[in-house]
This record gives sequence, C-alpha cells and structure tokens, in this order.
Amino acid sequence: MAGRNHLDIHPSEAALAEALRALPQSAPQPDLWPALARTLEQRRRPRAWRYAIPFAAAAAIALAVLLPKMTTQDRATPQSTPVASSAAPDTSASTSDAPNTGELDALHARSRTLERWIAAVAARAPQDGQDLMAAVEVEDLIGLVDVQLGGARGDADALPLWRQRVALLEDLAAIRGNGLALAENGGREYGVPVSLNQLN
Amino acid sequence: MLLRPNRAGRHLLNPVSAASFQIEVPDLVLARARRGDARALETIYRAFERPAYTLALRIVGDVESAREVTHDAMLRLIERIGQFRGDSPFWGWLRQIVVNEALMRLRRERGAVFEDIDDGDEPPGDGPPPWMLADAARLERALNDLPPLTRSVLWLYHVEEYTHQEIAEMTGKSVSFSKSQVARGSSRLRRLLDRQEKEAAPWLAATI
Repeated sequence: MAGRNHLDIHPSEAALAEALRALPQSAPQPDLWPALARTLEQRRRPRAWRYAIPFAAAAAIALAVLLPKMTTQDRATPQSTPVASSAAPDTSASTSDAPNTGELDALHARSRTLERWIAAVAARAPQDGQDLMAAVEVEDLIGLVDVQLGGARGDADALPLWRQRVALLEDLAAIRGNGLALAENGGREYGVPVSLNQLN
Repeated sequence: MLLRPNRAGRHLLNPVSAASFQIEVPDLVLARARRGDARALETIYRAFERPAYTLALRIVGDVESAREVTHDAMLRLIERIGQFRGDSPFWGWLRQIVVNEALMRLRRERGAVFEDIDDGDEPPGDGPPPWMLADAARLERALNDLPPLTRSVLWLYHVEEYTHQEIAEMTGKSVSFSKSQVARGSSRLRRLLDRQEKEAAPWLAATI
C-alpha cells in the first residue's frame, strides 16, 4: 500500500479501479458467526476445565484457612464493597420473612467478605492472560446470577441463587488469589493469598 | 452500532464504502476481544464479514470456497488476536490474514494457479473503456471469467491498493509478473466486456 503513486496510473486504469471498487459487497450465506461461536466455545471449554479444578482446590485450601477469621472481622464491619459485579444484589431486602434467613444472612456476609477480598487482591496482583480469561468468564456468570437475583420473588427463590453466587465468588477468589500468590511468592504456599491480613 | 467516520475519513466499525476494509475498531472492543469476550469478537466479525468475504470471493472465485476462507480467516483472527500488537491498523492485519488464507486455498486447490494470458492483438479503441459503461452484473461476470490469480492480482492492486512489490511477495512471483498480470488482466477484461456487449446487442455490432 505504501509507495503507491496514483499519478502513475493511466486514466482508464483509474476508471477500472473505480468501477471495481463500486461493485457491491457480499455477505457469506448462511451466516458464519454461529459456527465460529460454536468452535470458540468448544475450544474454550477444555481450557476452563483444566483451570477450574486447580482453582477449586486452591480456593478450598485458602477459604478453609482464612474465611473463619475474615467472617468474624466482617461482622464488625458490615458494609459491602462490591467488586466482582458492579451491580451486586441488594442483601438487605429479602432476609426478614423466610425460614432460611440464617443461611441467607451467612451467604450475604460471605459474599461481602469475598468481594472485599477479591477487590483488594485484584488491585495488587497481576494476572496472566489465561487467569484473566478464566476470571472474566466467572465474572460473567456472577453477573448472570445477579440478574436472576434481581428477579427473585422471595427468599425461597433467592437462596439457591445466593449459594451459586458465593460458590462463583469462591472460584473467582481462587483465580485472583493464584495471581497474588504467584506475584508475591517468597517461599510461601501456593494458592494461599499471603497478604490477607493487610486487607482488614 | 453507530456509523461514525473519523477524521481520516475511515469508519468506526460500520463501513459505508464498498470493498473497504478500512474500519477502525475502538480500543475497548479490541481489549475485550483479546480477553476472549465473545460479544466483542462478534462485533469485530460483524464489522468485517462483508469486506472479508468479498475479498475472499474475488480471489477464490466461488461462493463456497469464499465462505470457507472467511471462516478460516476469522478463526485465525480469534486465535491470534492476543498477538496483535497494535503498531499497525487492525484492519490491515485482518485483511492480510484473509489474503493469505485465500491465496493458500488457491494454491492448494488449483496447484499452479498462474495461467499465462495473452495481451490480445486488438488495441484499445478511442471510446471510453467498457468498464465505464458496464453495469455491476456484467463487470462481475467478466471479472469471474479471468484466470483466478490474474483476477486476484488485479483486485489486490486496484481495489486493495497493494503495491506490485507487496503482491510479488504475497504470490511468490516477481514485481514484473505482478505488473504484467495487471496490464494483461485489464486487457482481457476489456475484451470480455466488449464481447459481452456484442452478444447482448448484435445489431449494434453489425452497424459498427
């Protein structure tokens, strides 16, 4: 493209170029995108599984060690700082009249704690491309659950969704924590977010 | 998505001009696409599906092969978008992928695709060149009657504005070969259009 001198082109050749450019464009029929999207999804799925299992293991270890402490601290400071989703559902609206209020309260608290933790870690830990892709996928799923929570009619509807939301946040925490552990790995344990104490 | 020409007269996402690959993709869309966001990838696909398919069709010459070239090129784009460094226009990068895929298919399917064509012995007349008078359907038909690589070189030179040097590199031939294909292709196109005109209006030919 560079170096083309249009003055060198004979007028009839310039007219040919113009006539060719004026030919109508075509689109592939039938639409190619559904096939591309399917291929994309098929390629992504095995990768997601490959990462999901170690992430889940890392999450289980990290959460078993750290969450009891964080939950205790969270009771003292109940305000939420949502980060995993910009539209985190209202945790105060649906807790009063259902038999599972206790579990819902616990899920709300855990959700807030995880979000605070993820926000703090995400600001400090670099993510490699694969972790980032996995994190984006989980964030999308959390967003989907939040949309469903927005339409939940009562605690009975909301409870399974909150369980799902907390599980996804735990996955996300593991992914983010993996980045932090790798970033700050100075002989400390893989998968355990070493700077957690500084978050509170 | 809105059609919005930028200061260089190019377009953000939706092209207006025919055969134009020169579409600028917003950085935000590119960033999301690099992370594998399906919606961003579809946005890019939708913006480029027509220029990509049209270019593939001009090179390979039939709709089914053009469809496969477009599919393979877009898949390659999705696989490699993380490697796009942004130091050249995105559309140029994608266009090169499409050209490479299409030329590879030509080589694979047709072996030695360069058919030598003669210059013809009729010198061009004094009147306006026939492509100025021909409608799109006739011009398209005549273009399809050219040998595949002659048509490709003509299209890459005149429409996509590659230089002879660039075309020579892409086709593995010399600069003079590219120049001769453009000249001979134009000449052949002229004769094909003249013949079409005579066949369409024999009474007119008889009066000349």
